[in-house]
Amino acid sequence: MRNFILMLPLASVIFCMASCDSFVEVDLPKSQLTNEAVFDSYATAEAALTDIYAKIRDQGLLTGTPSGLSNELANYTDELTCYGSPDDPALVFYFNALLPANTSIADYWNTSYNQIYAANAVIEGVEESSKLSVDEKDQLKGEALFIRALIHFYLTNLYGDIPYITDTNYQKNNVAKKVTVAEVYAFVISDLNSSLNLLSQNYDNPERIRPNRMVAKALLARVYLYNGSWAEASNSASAVLNASNLYSLENNIDEVFLKGSKETIWQLQSATAGKNTDEASSFIFFDGPPPSVALTDNLMNSFSATDLRKSHWTGTISVGSSTWYHPFKYKEFDYTATSVEYSIVFRLAEQYLIRAEARAQQGDLIGAKEDLNKIRERAGLNPTTAGTKQQILNAILQERRWELFTEYGHRFFDLKRFGQIDAVLSPVKTGWNTTDKLFPLPQNELSINPNLRPQNSGY
Amino acid sequence: MNNFSFLRGGRAFCFLFLMGALLSFSPIQANNSIRQSLTTTQQFKVQGIVTDGSNSLAGVSISIKGKSITATTDFSGHYTISASPQDILIFSYIGYKIETISVQGRSTININLQENATKLQEIKINAGYYSVKNSERTGSISRITSKDIETQPVSNVLATMQGRMAGVSVTQTTGVPGGGFDIKIRGQNSIRSEGNAPLYIIDGVPYASDPIGYNQTASTFPTVTSPINSINPAMIESIEILKDADATAIYGSKGANGVVLITTKKGKAGKTAITVKATTGVGTVTKFMKLMDTQQYLAMRRKAFANDGITTYPPYAYDVNGTWDQNRYTDWQKEFLGGTSQINDFQGTLSGGSDKTQFLLSSTYHTESTVFPGDFIYKKGGAQFNMNHRSEDNKFKFSFSMGYNIQDNDQPAFDLTPSARYLAPNAPAVYDADGNLNWANGTWQNPLRYLSAIFKSKTNDLVSNAVLSYELFPHLVLKSNFGFTDLRHTETRTAPSTIYNPAYHLTSAYSSLYVNNTERQSWIVEPQINWEKELEMGKIGLLFGGTFQNQNTTRLYQFANGFTSNSLIYDLASASTVRVLYSDNALYKYQAFFGRINYNWSDRYFLNLTGRRDGSSRFGPGKQFANFGAIGMAWLFSKERFLKESSWLSFGKLRGSYGTTGNDQIGDYQFLNTYTSSGVLYDSNVGLQPSRLFNPDFGWEINKKLEAALEIGFFEDRLFLTAAWYQNHSSNQLVGVPLAGTTGFQTLQANLDATVENIGWEFTLRTVNFRSQNFNWTTNLNLTIARNKLLRFPNLEASPYKEQYRIGEPLNIKLLYQYTGINPQIGVYQFADTNTDGVISFPEDKQTVANLNPQYFGGLQNQLTYQHWKLDFLFQFVKQQNYNYSIGFAGQMSNQPVRLIDSWQQPGDNAIGQIYTTGYNGAAVTANSRYVQSTGGITDASFIRLKNIALSYDIPLNVKNTRCQLILQSQNLLTFTKYQDGDPEFISSGYLPPLKTITAGMQLTF
Repeated sequence: MRNFILMLPLASVIFCMASCDSFVEVDLPKSQLTNEAVFDSYATAEAALTDIYAKIRDQGLLTGTPSGLSNELANYTDELTCYGSPDDPALVFYFNALLPANTSIADYWNTSYNQIYAANAVIEGVEESSKLSVDEKDQLKGEALFIRALIHFYLTNLYGDIPYITDTNYQKNNVAKKVTVAEVYAFVISDLNSSLNLLSQNYDNPERIRPNRMVAKALLARVYLYNGSWAEASNSASAVLNASNLYSLENNIDEVFLKGSKETIWQLQSATAGKNTDEASSFIFFDGPPPSVALTDNLMNSFSATDLRKSHWTGTISVGSSTWYHPFKYKEFDYTATSVEYSIVFRLAEQYLIRAEARAQQGDLIGAKEDLNKIRERAGLNPTTAGTKQQILNAILQERRWELFTEYGHRFFDLKRFGQIDAVLSPVKTGWNTTDKLFPLPQNELSINPNLRPQNSGY
Repeated sequence: MNNFSFLRGGRAFCFLFLMGALLSFSPIQANNSIRQSLTTTQQFKVQGIVTDGSNSLAGVSISIKGKSITATTDFSGHYTISASPQDILIFSYIGYKIETISVQGRSTININLQENATKLQEIKINAGYYSVKNSERTGSISRITSKDIETQPVSNVLATMQGRMAGVSVTQTTGVPGGGFDIKIRGQNSIRSEGNAPLYIIDGVPYASDPIGYNQTASTFPTVTSPINSINPAMIESIEILKDADATAIYGSKGANGVVLITTKKGKAGKTAITVKATTGVGTVTKFMKLMDTQQYLAMRRKAFANDGITTYPPYAYDVNGTWDQNRYTDWQKEFLGGTSQINDFQGTLSGGSDKTQFLLSSTYHTESTVFPGDFIYKKGGAQFNMNHRSEDNKFKFSFSMGYNIQDNDQPAFDLTPSARYLAPNAPAVYDADGNLNWANGTWQNPLRYLSAIFKSKTNDLVSNAVLSYELFPHLVLKSNFGFTDLRHTETRTAPSTIYNPAYHLTSAYSSLYVNNTERQSWIVEPQINWEKELEMGKIGLLFGGTFQNQNTTRLYQFANGFTSNSLIYDLASASTVRVLYSDNALYKYQAFFGRINYNWSDRYFLNLTGRRDGSSRFGPGKQFANFGAIGMAWLFSKERFLKESSWLSFGKLRGSYGTTGNDQIGDYQFLNTYTSSGVLYDSNVGLQPSRLFNPDFGWEINKKLEAALEIGFFEDRLFLTAAWYQNHSSNQLVGVPLAGTTGFQTLQANLDATVENIGWEFTLRTVNFRSQNFNWTTNLNLTIARNKLLRFPNLEASPYKEQYRIGEPLNIKLLYQYTGINPQIGVYQFADTNTDGVISFPEDKQTVANLNPQYFGGLQNQLTYQHWKLDFLFQFVKQQNYNYSIGFAGQMSNQPVRLIDSWQQPGDNAIGQIYTTGYNGAAVTANSRYVQSTGGITDASFIRLKNIALSYDIPLNVKNTRCQLILQSQNLLTFTKYQDGDPEFISSGYLPPLKTITAGMQLTF
């Protein structure tokens, strides 16, 4: 027993002396992969890319949850009335009372640049990879460039001058300088043109949940339109509209927002099988008063009585003598056996309206009316009676309001583009100021990166 | 040597020491420590109980003058000894005056021993790898013992230290049981708020304090769940806090923020004793906020609409437009937080053993219900086992301790405090006539919907250790410490569809569940050699040892939704979707060698050198190792010839130390460039996301500590003062450097070339005010005056911290607008335009510094004993400022502090609050948001609190070996403060304040 006892402390001392520095070296954790390893195989590289779509769906600008632009910009303009409790983040949008310290403003900024970082990481990883084939590289890089262009496009329309981030170098990006809106557009167009050349014509997944060349074209059409490059806008939209083997307007207005809609150019797959859109759960309610938001009387009253979009794309809730309306484009509020609706980011109707506007601006009034009437016809309306260029443009703005309400803030961007935002919003929004055209830059970002100063005016 | 075989080696060691444990049980001889001499005709048995006036004393040695007969008291203070009628008994016990009593033929002699203040200096203080006689100590160590802990009806070990230790600041962050405490030992060293935790060591085994909670599950608490809750205060014999370099440098890279050494209760020789203690009590919220009543509130709302020029109340203004009853009034704080928490506690201990082998077996059970409506309960139970053995020749020693604690917590998923404060006082009843949740036609979000959203947590925690030591040659001891910890924690939060307004028509398909499973196992092996030698002019001691530690943490966070029924919400198999949000297995390995050289010259001069070489797996290649060390010196000047005979000076010591420690609290694997699974599915791929920005080149945070102290005692130490001055410099700051959002992330792990200074004075004063056989009164005062300062920060002006820190100011500052009062013309809050550019702007005008660190804090404790009565009370005091509670701008649909009834009404007014608005007055909304970030939003939050009061009565029983004690205890009974917005003790506002508890109980020993 004595010897045995003696052995223990002695043995452990000797043991410790014998061991070496390698004791404190650890292997990679099981749940992590090194950057190089990720881009060694297509499966993991693709997972790095598709995760960005999941993030776009769940957070930031384009999510269908109430924190996304579809809800917040509709509150910001004349589409939604906010009935939320005092802690509802939508309320400050509804009152047009954004402050630089607002957390929604910072979240949009941070999640957007995180998505851009992830896209840049894919671009860099793909470029450095020696294991991926050329086709694989093209597909991944093309999609990542598209994402980078898409997010920057939204950011510049919300915040004005912003940094355009094209790599993952944090030392450089920590002090990134703002570039003008015009320069952002030039970068976006350049990225989209590169993307076009890399992406294939066909969808990688028939559910249209991954961008193909036409998605890049559709965004390009919108970018040119916002930019006032009418001919390019018209041509890009035409490229999409002419791809009739892929796209056509759904004649039945109830099928426009279904997962299999022929009108869909790009949509975001729901998080799990059986789940439907976040938009449906954000907007639909069953009892009054509305728990969060309802469509404004202003919008509801503007519809013609025979407009199918009023009867099919809005829902009516009546309690006693009170009546409220909710967006009803996406109808599936609950889980279904398999998902029936996905969140549609680009659809064909917008491309018709883009081309109509671009044509009108170029003086092709007949062509413009032709495109506009396609949309009116589908909505059960008579052809437009507008005659002059200005009348047609006004009709297009009006049509866009009816067609695209509560979709990704179209109304806000349209009013800005048409220069009518103050005229339209001032009478109906007590809190509206002309400087509300731009969001404030997040306060925290201004203090971390002085190159972002000055703050947008009015804040 | 590869890791795999090392692991196997570790297992082999566990096996070996378990075998050792078994073997050492077998040869124990049932030697009774009460040795009886051969009986002579005159010999008879004397027995009795030794107490300190109120508590029994175990381990008191009793000897007979001039004879070799000895005995010791058992766990209940009882002794038996054979003596003759003329014998004189000598009672001696460390820290107490020796008593001599002649037997005079009596067979029962009960005695109270008097504490001897001077002898407190003879107590051995635990310094971790070694222990040191208090008088010879060169380092700064604070200590509390079970005596201080047992008087407090609290379940968290950190709570027991509040107000009792100089230099240790403890703040309770929520009153919900199972919530956390914030502890800072000598201030904030690291710029990272999460890098300031001390090192916890339980019986020699490091106890990781890294959070085990997940913010999606532990949503009830301001901070995620900490494992420290698992430590059971009832099992603790003493807590030593190591503060200066001399005491902490031997812990190297983990010592920067101080070390908390916890020693659990050990078995004592003597008669097998059983102690049972049962207490029961109640807890209520300390202090509510003063809010408006319905009349005041509605007047505010109507005025706000009038101010905004709105004459027709909008359809959603339910409180004023007639939808809600305007004569209704509910005090929501009383309704939601006004309940009484029922607290029950049971403890049982069995202890005894022989001279060579002792054991202790103890178990506790504790329950606390909630002050929220509903049946929520926190349960905590545990067991502690200890066994000590030494061989016949005293050369081999073995000690084994094991503690196992289980916590089971069931709480609402969200704290109701914010709702209780902001809800309109005329909001509808929470339940309708049928007792169902009242949704009032969807006009409000009934806060009690959260009562069906449940946070549950279950923690099982095992800490065990074994120490084997063998005296190989005289003065040379080989020792090995083996430790093993195993923590298993499961946390869930449900969000059943019933928490949503029924207007949504949500079914259980919308119910969801978050699950957090965290497990952490660790083992440690610490072999040591200890050598001591008496020299002609002193004594030298050498210690050399090594540490090998391996810690494995597994975390699995899952989210499930779409349940077939709400009753199956805890069943992942019944969910239509289960997503793994986070799955991680983090390995932390740590290796060190440490040593100590101690030299004692003539019992007057002491030199202590300690050092450590550390390696940690948390750093990248080339950055893993670092050296730390310290020197400590003490001069016991009262032993010098010229003072030795002093009638008034009984003790005097000067000591000082200087050294370095480090900090590796940065998380695991941070130096790797990796992608992590996001757990989210898209296009049939489970996503991969970039884990972090890549920086492999970060290293240790270095903390340099300097201390000087004077310990001085007068009149047999009836007046004993300690004054310590310290200065700590933390540099090479290991931080998540905030980055601009444009980098894609908000932070980057890196070393920042900045220095943080903590400088302070600590005073403790102990006075024995009155001492007699029947009545004793002692007072302890501790006071800490500390100042935290950012000393150096190259290019702060250009750094991301520009708007967070100021050189020369503490880390815990806020930069604020300077509030200048209300604009008499338009009635909105106004601020100083410090750069006089004509507009109030950020950051230019937000530059007024407010320090939120306490200026000074401490405690004043009094202990009084009178015969069988004992009264102990502690006042805790903190001088500090903090934020007022803000509920947004006054006039919107939320209640406000009652002081805001004094609002601006018309031009020329001077009021406390600005013009009411419902949100349409943009200038007022902006002004209010600035006000919250201005000097106007900060107020004095100092307080004096009767932290603890404990009264006990020892029922005089004439039953042999039996004691019965009645106990009345209270925590946070009285609070004196000028702070208006609830309780002044908080870190983040909007959480349940600490509770005021009163408990009564009984303790029986037999």
